[in-house]
Amino acid sequence: MKILIVEDEQRLMESMVTYLKSENFIVEEAPDYKTARQKIEMFTYDCILLDVSLPDGDGLSLLQELKANKKTEGVIVISARNSIGDRIQGLNLGADDYLTKPFHLSELNARILAVIRRRHFQGQQVLVFNELTIDLIAKTVYVNEKAVELTRKEYDLLLYLAYNKNRVISKNAIAEHLSGDDAEIFTNYDFIYSHMKNLKKKLQQAGCKEYIRSVYGMGYKFDI
Amino acid sequence: MRLNNKTIRNYLSYSSVIFLLTIPVFYFVVRKVLLHSVDSSLKAQFHEIRENLDEIHTRDELEAWAKMDKDISLTPTNTPKQDRIYSTTRYSPKHREEEPFREIAGNITVGGQLYQLVISSSLVENEDLLLSILQVQISVLLVLIGGMLWINQKISRRLWQPFYIALKNMQTFELNKQSDLAFKPSTTDEFNELNKAINNLFSRSTQLYQHQKEFTENASHEMQTPLAIFQSKLELLMQTSPISEEQAGIINALDETNRRLIKLNKSLLLLTRIENNQYQTTEILSIAQLCQRQIRQFQPYADNRNLTVHTRFNAEITVNANPILIEILIANLLTNAIRYNRDNGEIAVTTDNNTLTIENTGAFAALDPDRIFDRFHKQNGQEDSTGLGLAIVKNICTLYNYAVNYNFNNGWHFFTISFRITPESSSTFTANYHHQ
Repeated sequence: MKILIVEDEQRLMESMVTYLKSENFIVEEAPDYKTARQKIEMFTYDCILLDVSLPDGDGLSLLQELKANKKTEGVIVISARNSIGDRIQGLNLGADDYLTKPFHLSELNARILAVIRRRHFQGQQVLVFNELTIDLIAKTVYVNEKAVELTRKEYDLLLYLAYNKNRVISKNAIAEHLSGDDAEIFTNYDFIYSHMKNLKKKLQQAGCKEYIRSVYGMGYKFDI
Repeated sequence: MRLNNKTIRNYLSYSSVIFLLTIPVFYFVVRKVLLHSVDSSLKAQFHEIRENLDEIHTRDELEAWAKMDKDISLTPTNTPKQDRIYSTTRYSPKHREEEPFREIAGNITVGGQLYQLVISSSLVENEDLLLSILQVQISVLLVLIGGMLWINQKISRRLWQPFYIALKNMQTFELNKQSDLAFKPSTTDEFNELNKAINNLFSRSTQLYQHQKEFTENASHEMQTPLAIFQSKLELLMQTSPISEEQAGIINALDETNRRLIKLNKSLLLLTRIENNQYQTTEILSIAQLCQRQIRQFQPYADNRNLTVHTRFNAEITVNANPILIEILIANLLTNAIRYNRDNGEIAVTTDNNTLTIENTGAFAALDPDRIFDRFHKQNGQEDSTGLGLAIVKNICTLYNYAVNYNFNNGWHFFTISFRITPESSSTFTANYHHQ
C-alpha cells in the first residue's frame, strides 16, 4: 500500500511517517504543493493525505486537479480549520474523508485503512486474527465461525483496535473515536471502560483469547 | 431637559421679564406725554383768552361768553392767585361716574373786576387712548414672543437634527456588530466636525476590536499545529518499548493535559468565530426537535450516571438561526446538566412560550449568577472544565438577542433561554411531543 503525505509541517510529517511505516505502508513525503503535484503526476497512490494550507498553494486545488484527471486515489483532507464550510467543500470536491488538526495517529491510520478498503472492492473485506474474524461489509464479528452479538459502539471499538493492532491507543484517542464530535464536549472515560468491559466479556464468552489489554491505564492495545 | 427646551426656556424668561417691565414703563411714559400735550393745549387756550380780553368790555358780555363754553368757569374773586395746572375729578351726570379732568386756573381782570378763570379738559378720551395703546402694545408683544418661540422650536429642531442623528448613532453603536451608520451631512460646520470625529472614533474602535479578535483567532489557529505535533509525538512515545509503569503514568498525564489544551483552544476558536460572525447561514429550526435529537445523542452519557431525563415540550418554538450554533447552545447546556449532576439525579428539558428551560439536580450549590457566564469562570471541583462552555452559550444568545438566565431553587439549577418572539413561534403546540 502506497501513501503520499502532503504536509508542510516537518515534525508532524515525521510523526505520521513513523506511525504509518510501521503499519507496512510505503510512505512518500511532499512538503509543498509543487513536489506533491510532481509526485501525483508520476506515481499512483492508494491514498493521499492532503493538508489544505500549503506554503505555495491551496491543497484543495490539488484535489480538484486530481479529480479532473480522473485519478483513483483515495484522498483524506487534513485541515487546521475546523469549519463546516471547509469540510463540506473538501468532501464536495471528492475527498473521501476529512480530518481536523490535531488528530490522533491511530485515528488517521484507521481512516486510511477504511478509505483504501472502500476504494478497492477487490481488497480485504474481512480481518482475520486466528479465531477472530471481523466482516467489514456485514459489520459482524465471528469467533470460531460463530457470530458474536455486539453493539455498534462495541463493534466500532473492536475495529478501531484491530486497525491499530499491536499499537498502544491512548484513552483519549478511543474516547474521541467513539464519541465523534461529542468528544469536544465530553470526555468520559467511564464510558469507554464500560464499553471495553462489555466487549471483552462478550469476546471471552464466545471463546476468544484476550487480545485486548490495558497498558498501565494509559491506553489499550490489540495484541496479536 | 432637552437642549432645545433649555434655550427656549432662557429666551422665554428673558422675554417675560422685559415684557413685564415694559408695561408700566410704557404706561407712565405715554401718560406723561399725553398730559403734557393736554397741559400745553390748556396753557395755549388760557394765553389766547388773556390776549383777547381787550375785545370784551362789559360784564354781561363776559358772562355770556363764559356760558357758551362748558369747559370754562368764571368766578369773581378778591384774592389774586398764581396760575396753576392740576388734575381733578368731577361727577359726570351723563356717565354717572367720576371722570378725570385737567384744569388750568388763573386770574383775569375785566372792567376792573378780578375773576378766577378755570379752563378744564376732560381726560376720559386720553385715558381711553392710553388703554387702547396699551392693548395694542400687549398684543404685539404677545404675538412677537409667541412667534419667536414657535420659530425657535421649528428652526431648532431642524438645526439640531444632525446632532440628534449623531446621538442616536452613538447610542446604537455596538463594537461587535457591523453596521453602517448614516450621518446626516449638515450645513453647520460644527456638526460636520462632530460627525467626522464620531465616525473616526467608531472606525478606530472597530478596527482595534477587529484586530483584537483576529489576533485571538489567529493565535488559536496557530496553536493547532504545535498541539497536533505534540499529540502525535506522545502517541509515538506510547509505542516505544519497553515502557515502565512510571513512564506510562507521565505520558498519560501529558496526554490528558494536551487534551485539555486542545479543548480549550477549540472553545476559544469557537468563541472568536461566533464573535467574528462567521456563522451566518440561518435556517428555521425547531427547538423541541433539536432538544430531542441532542437528548438521544447524550442518552448514553446520562445512562452511564443513571440520570433520568424528563421532557416537557409545552410549546413549539421555532427560531431562524444557524443550526450549528443552536446545536452547540443546547448541547452545552445539556452536557453541563449531565456533567455537573449527581449520580441517580434528574434532568428536565421544558419548552414554554418562547422559553427553553434546562434544569438539573446538582452536585454543586447555587452558582454565582453574575459570573457563571464569564470566560474562564470556574466553580470549585470543575478542574476538567474549560470555563468557556457557558461563555459560548452567552455569546450565541447575545448574537441572536436571546436572554439567558440562571436560577437555583431547592437543589435544582435552572438555565432558561428566552427566544425572541417571531411570528412562527406563537402557534400553539399540539402533536408529536408528549410528556416522556
